[in-house]
Amino acid sequence: MKEAVRLQQEDFSQDEEIAALRAGSKRMGGIATFIGCARDFSEGREVTQISFDAYGSMALAEMNKLREDAIAKFALLDARIVHRVGAVRAGEQIVFIAAGAEHRAPALQACQWMIDELKQRVPIWKKELTPEGEAWVTPHP
Amino acid sequence: MIKVLFFGPVAERVGTSEAQVTFKAGMRLQDVRDQLQAKYPAAFEIVCFAAVNGEHVRDMSLPLKEGSELVFMSKFSGG
Repeated sequence: MKEAVRLQQEDFSQDEEIAALRAGSKRMGGIATFIGCARDFSEGREVTQISFDAYGSMALAEMNKLREDAIAKFALLDARIVHRVGAVRAGEQIVFIAAGAEHRAPALQACQWMIDELKQRVPIWKKELTPEGEAWVTPHP
Repeated sequence: MIKVLFFGPVAERVGTSEAQVTFKAGMRLQDVRDQLQAKYPAAFEIVCFAAVNGEHVRDMSLPLKEGSELVFMSKFSGG
């Protein structure tokens, strides 16, 4: 089975990730997922591709810590975080987050908390490729 | 030696993803930042965070050791 936290160039399958999450416990009454995708339009420009750079070792360590923090904070039964690096074309998947809990409320809350925290804590940077050129993305609050 | 890594927009402004700084006894994180900022001022305009050996560090007076790995980073934009 694949690791629960991964940085990878290739695309991921949400079906496989959810199956892996569910395999760990039959007590899971609620699973919340988030998939971040590459938009083809940003800041008034057409975007053809996004390129992700990461401080790999620290990013993976922070993502593992984030998963452990979420499990503890929301009493989750399990959680998974997958983020792609390298080139991602417009329309493709970038990031997958899943939270499994006994009930829906902590699963939903944990899922939102994890993606918000990931954006703050994990050293990954995105560059948008447009017909006019390339530009690193400045984060929004 | 101290190994310094750059990623994303900072690496682009520095022009490379890695630099070496000669270690001196008593050297602190701020000393390396000052040295590199003088060399790459445009890159350090967007530096917001520092990490030493893969851990976030806010105290710029942190003493460094020979062989430390430093990273000066801009705001993250993953997800």
